[in-house]
Amino acid sequence: MAYKKRLAAALVSLALIATACGNGATGSGTDAANGGNAGVNEQITLKFYSYNLAIASQVPGTEKLISEFEAAHPNIKIDAIPVSSTDINAKVQADIVAGSAPDVAQLTFDGLDFAVNNFNAKPLEDIVAADELKSNFEGFSPNGLKLGQLNGKTFGLPFTFSTPVLFYNAKLFEEAGLDPAAPPTTWTQVKEYGLNIAEKTGMTGAHVGGATGGDWIIQALIGSNGGQALSDDRKTIKFGEPEAVEMVQMWQDLIKSGANGKLNDGEAIEAFSQGKIGMLLFTSALQSSFVAASQAGGWELKTAKMPAFGDKPTTPVNSGSALFILSDDKAKQQAAWEFLKFATSERGYTIITSEIGYLPLRPAIIDDPNYLKDWVEANPLVKPNLEQLDSLKPWVSYPGPNWKQIETILNDSVSKAIAGDVDVAAIMQDAQKRAQALIQ
Amino acid sequence: MEKAGRSFGSFTAVTVKHCALIALVLLAVFPLYWMVVTSLKPESEVFTSSLIPLHITLDNYVQAWNAIPMGRMLTNSFVVAVIQTVMQLLTSILAAYAFTRWEFRGSNLIYGLIALTWLVPFQVIMIPNYVAISGFGWRDQLAGLIIPNIASAFAVLQLYNAFKSYPKPLIEAARLDGASDWGVLWRTIMPNLKAPIASIGILLFITSWNDYFWPLLVTTKLDNSTVQKGLQMFISSDGNMWGALMAATTIASLPVLIIYLLLQRQIIDSFVKGGLK
Repeated sequence: MAYKKRLAAALVSLALIATACGNGATGSGTDAANGGNAGVNEQITLKFYSYNLAIASQVPGTEKLISEFEAAHPNIKIDAIPVSSTDINAKVQADIVAGSAPDVAQLTFDGLDFAVNNFNAKPLEDIVAADELKSNFEGFSPNGLKLGQLNGKTFGLPFTFSTPVLFYNAKLFEEAGLDPAAPPTTWTQVKEYGLNIAEKTGMTGAHVGGATGGDWIIQALIGSNGGQALSDDRKTIKFGEPEAVEMVQMWQDLIKSGANGKLNDGEAIEAFSQGKIGMLLFTSALQSSFVAASQAGGWELKTAKMPAFGDKPTTPVNSGSALFILSDDKAKQQAAWEFLKFATSERGYTIITSEIGYLPLRPAIIDDPNYLKDWVEANPLVKPNLEQLDSLKPWVSYPGPNWKQIETILNDSVSKAIAGDVDVAAIMQDAQKRAQALIQ
Repeated sequence: MEKAGRSFGSFTAVTVKHCALIALVLLAVFPLYWMVVTSLKPESEVFTSSLIPLHITLDNYVQAWNAIPMGRMLTNSFVVAVIQTVMQLLTSILAAYAFTRWEFRGSNLIYGLIALTWLVPFQVIMIPNYVAISGFGWRDQLAGLIIPNIASAFAVLQLYNAFKSYPKPLIEAARLDGASDWGVLWRTIMPNLKAPIASIGILLFITSWNDYFWPLLVTTKLDNSTVQKGLQMFISSDGNMWGALMAATTIASLPVLIIYLLLQRQIIDSFVKGGLK
């Protein structure tokens, strides 16, 4: 916790410096596209910051992606630098100030607005000719493409991301007399099933993750109840509105009733791995580690789509990251586009899905024997996740240099509201007021 | 009769004291024990609560060693921590001597300023320092890791107090024998202050060894970085690789443990003396 606070302090001080230094450069990225591949024949090295390379289990897949790209593009070398996801914004910002910014950076979606306005990320529309851009994105999930867009331009190309999915333990379902083939589809059912599991097996019924460590699951839940975190015109914070309050009340009730345990997210991941929690709503990126844990522990892991509020449609929000081009150099921008194109190609997403553990944004490849068909057959648990791509909503980034603080306010307020017997509306309205003051 | 009663009473007191101490020792040692035990467990056993690994395996060590350039990172950490500690001790010994032995205008002000820098959070100076070392071309180099940290306000303050408590007559006697400031410092004061210097030294070493954020900024390649950055590789928001993390942490804590064992006599002396003052 102390570390997080230090990081937050670091980001705030960084933000001040960057706002001071960054303004001079804004506007240089609006040159017209210079047309396709021209100029990518000289030897170019791209400095690439990636957090997948800072997670030991994801290094081999990411390195494979890079080396296949380099083999196909002998004139482009990727100087890949690992930076953990919690530190990557601070590191990019420090390097911009020090004059050694990366050419391509993998940044999380909640920092989209900040990357655009302070890191001077370049929109693809300015780098690539319109018809090339259009033909490249044929077969790309339309919802997926929207994830990295701001003000109608594509700044980030979705790279490694996941959606919230309901993991459940079939063994505990059976012991509680529930049908593992019929997972809960609404939050009312989650409560009912959770209480059932807690009563019959003595284990924890359910855990809803995401109250801490980023607000993407909270945004997904608010959206699923018909609300918003931020208005469409990006000017008004809305997480104190009745839809959001009602969602948090549901969450509080899950915990108060005993259907949802009182563990924190880290403990819940471990308890679920040990087969001690019936249902867990969390990032689909956990799937491979849960598969391993369930095999070792002798229980069956199953997955379902995110539950709904009654008959309202669910709005799964993505977590994860996009690739941003930060270089001002025209030749490097073209080389970076080649890299982005490869990373999000059929082959790129095949590696990302099967070897790094995220989702493909080219839906057709899951039925293509050249790409993911065999893998999806061997890993059917990924299916609910893929179905959610149809209703995927972008992880909304808050405007201005205080984006991280606003996200922290939302995380902290939800955590506080669900933990005790408190007035949810008062807490969420206060949070909305404080957050609104930070974007004025 | 009376004698036996008293000895029985003191026996009880000793037993109670020892029990309390044993409990405290367990409290301190158990996390270390758990770290080592977890590092020896296969993946399927990591989440079990058994106090001993049922199937001992070195897989986690192999995995940790292969996943990050452990040898290089340990060497870097060691070089950085040793040089940084020696430099910090050297600069703070000289500063402490100057502040305690010489009277000069502004000495209190300068001491006050040094004391104040101790309160400045790292985040405030991080960017200016980073821009400066970038200007010198020290990014991704050990010089960039070490040089901004060769002076420590904490060490100056600590040694100032140690130097101040050193008996003045002894120094004046050395002066009468014709010793220079240099001679007084190294031949009279230093040999008698080994204990506090060793204990401050180990604290500085541990601080440097554990530093994460500065190496994170300065270095890019794992080969040029310190081991703390490597440990982070086994932690992620999508779950931690506990076995490999514990194996890597065990390896990373060995040098500190060895240094501690080597210097422990001095440290215990220093704490005892500190307590008696």
